[in-house]
Amino acid sequence: MTMQNDRLLAYFMILPVVAAVLAFVIGPTYNVGTLSLTKIVMGQERGFGTFSNFTALTSDPVFWLVMKNTAIWILGGTLMCVLVGLGVGTFLAIDSRMTTGLRALILLPWVLPDVVTAMAWKWMLHGQVGIIGQTLESTGLTEETISFLGDPKLVMWTLVVVLIWRKMPLVALILCAAIRSVPDDQIEAARMDGATAFERFRFVVIPNIAFSLTAVTVISMIWITAEFALPWIMTGGGPANASQIMATYIYQQSFEFFNWGVASAMSVINLVMLASIVGLYLYINRRSWASEGSK
Amino acid sequence: MGSVALRNIRKSYGAVEVLHGIDLDIADGEFTVLVGPSGCGKSTLLRSIAGLETISNGEIALDGAVINKLQPKERNIAMVFQNYALYPHMNVAKNMAFSLRLAKQPKDEIDRKVRDAAEILDLAPLLDRYPRQLSGGQRQRVAMGRAIVRDPEVFLFDEPLSNLDAKLRVQMRAEIKELHQRLKTTTIYVTHDQIEAMTMADKIVVMRGGHVEQIGSPLELYDRPASVFVAGFIGSPAMNFLPAAATGGTLVTKSSVSVGKAPAGVDEGRSVIAGFRPEDLRLADSGMPAKVVVVEPTGAETQLMLRMADGDIVFTTRDRISVGPGDTVHLQIEPGKLHCFDAETEAAIRQDAAGQ
Repeated sequence: MTMQNDRLLAYFMILPVVAAVLAFVIGPTYNVGTLSLTKIVMGQERGFGTFSNFTALTSDPVFWLVMKNTAIWILGGTLMCVLVGLGVGTFLAIDSRMTTGLRALILLPWVLPDVVTAMAWKWMLHGQVGIIGQTLESTGLTEETISFLGDPKLVMWTLVVVLIWRKMPLVALILCAAIRSVPDDQIEAARMDGATAFERFRFVVIPNIAFSLTAVTVISMIWITAEFALPWIMTGGGPANASQIMATYIYQQSFEFFNWGVASAMSVINLVMLASIVGLYLYINRRSWASEGSK
Repeated sequence: MGSVALRNIRKSYGAVEVLHGIDLDIADGEFTVLVGPSGCGKSTLLRSIAGLETISNGEIALDGAVINKLQPKERNIAMVFQNYALYPHMNVAKNMAFSLRLAKQPKDEIDRKVRDAAEILDLAPLLDRYPRQLSGGQRQRVAMGRAIVRDPEVFLFDEPLSNLDAKLRVQMRAEIKELHQRLKTTTIYVTHDQIEAMTMADKIVVMRGGHVEQIGSPLELYDRPASVFVAGFIGSPAMNFLPAAATGGTLVTKSSVSVGKAPAGVDEGRSVIAGFRPEDLRLADSGMPAKVVVVEPTGAETQLMLRMADGDIVFTTRDRISVGPGDTVHLQIEPGKLHCFDAETEAAIRQDAAGQ
């Protein structure tokens, strides 16, 4: 009897969390899922159980441009973020008075609000009055001011650079902490074994921080996929969709053009992508050395 | 060949000097143990020989060639670390092969060397295991295997047994000694455990506060300690010390108990420290009176804590004795087993051979 009472109490205790997850995670996801399968015309639902939203998406050339931009944004951004973060983290892991100060200072880009970052960079990169373009021109490095955000060929990569400036510090700090936790005696053993600095990094440090490295990669990927304010404020997807990525496209389709169905279909694609990233992460970690042997 | 010569090794961290000029000669094939309490500089000295620490002054020579300035990998010295320092992401075979792989040796050569080392160390069935799947003793053997495959001039051991339980430690002690007898590679071994030092060493270097206190074979240190420190450090239970003064050819304590004959050359009235080992005491009808405080039988021998007017002493005997706490006993020191140290410098006052 008491056993049963205990169990009821336990269910009662977790009820708020279950309710919150149902209401704010499962509910909206279900809603978006069904919406993506519903034909909508002029904001009116016109029949359920159709893939017309998806076919409309894929037949639109803008969709493929968005996919390409999103690939640059997510894959390029993540790769650069982790690589630059690894480099900076390795540097910060060195013990010196300078790195101790830098470790605190480097978080500055990360604590700034998105909007502030976006506005600051938008003006610095401005085609006519931006300080970066002007500096390049006045020092003679470029013949005329480059419009970093106005050039369709440059805009995506410019966004990625700002993204890295903003997201890399935390990656660097996490990796710095991981590198500093590599046991000294392993490094020393490798020195005795004749490993050069690069070999010690490659064969001892990297395997030791593999766990943090994969975790930080996946986390950055998710952050970057979810990042909206930065590209939206800086370019709004322009010029001519040249910097349109999934996040901005979904926003534009739903809240500017009210194409709920198409936006939902895009969201579902986004969700599937994110889920596969997390799946990949779990798969990699399952196979990592830390769990090897206890199969 | 692997003879090591240390000349006036000094090491400072900022303004603090931790090694104050160490001189040491180690012959090829010798098993040398650096022993001392923590903070005495023994590990720093070992790491300096390995090249993991730079020395501030002095000269380290391997087979006559000065190696101070060389990187660790250029010294042809292998080291076994206290925490084994195995690479957790490599299996046993790869851990052992790592240095050979970095040296770009041919693959079949590497395989052969790893197999040979595994054979020597009984690791052959474990080559595919990962470090965390091994017991402490097995990890220790892998760490030794990693050193062996390189066939270095010198092995360095940095307190390799301190993480093992007591029983395993005794077993590994014998294994390391056997390995050394087999490979005959010069070995420098750091420990704070005098039993390890006594049992394994050809030569013991007792260190204290960045100085060498005494260098000698285990029994030399045991029989003829150069100072109170060495006398107290080597041997278990530790040597008993009583402050005394030379009076009429004998050493007499403050409470007028005669402990034995004063060594020749000790001036009348000179303050000394009399030292005698617990196992060199005998029960007698007359002699030093002492009250029994605690009796600790261990089977093979019995250890008694005794209280004298001048201090507490320990007495061990292999005889079955029937005394209990509170009893008063009389003790005599075996002839020739009394050590005498200067009260000021704590250095041994040597009796000449005839006096012994």
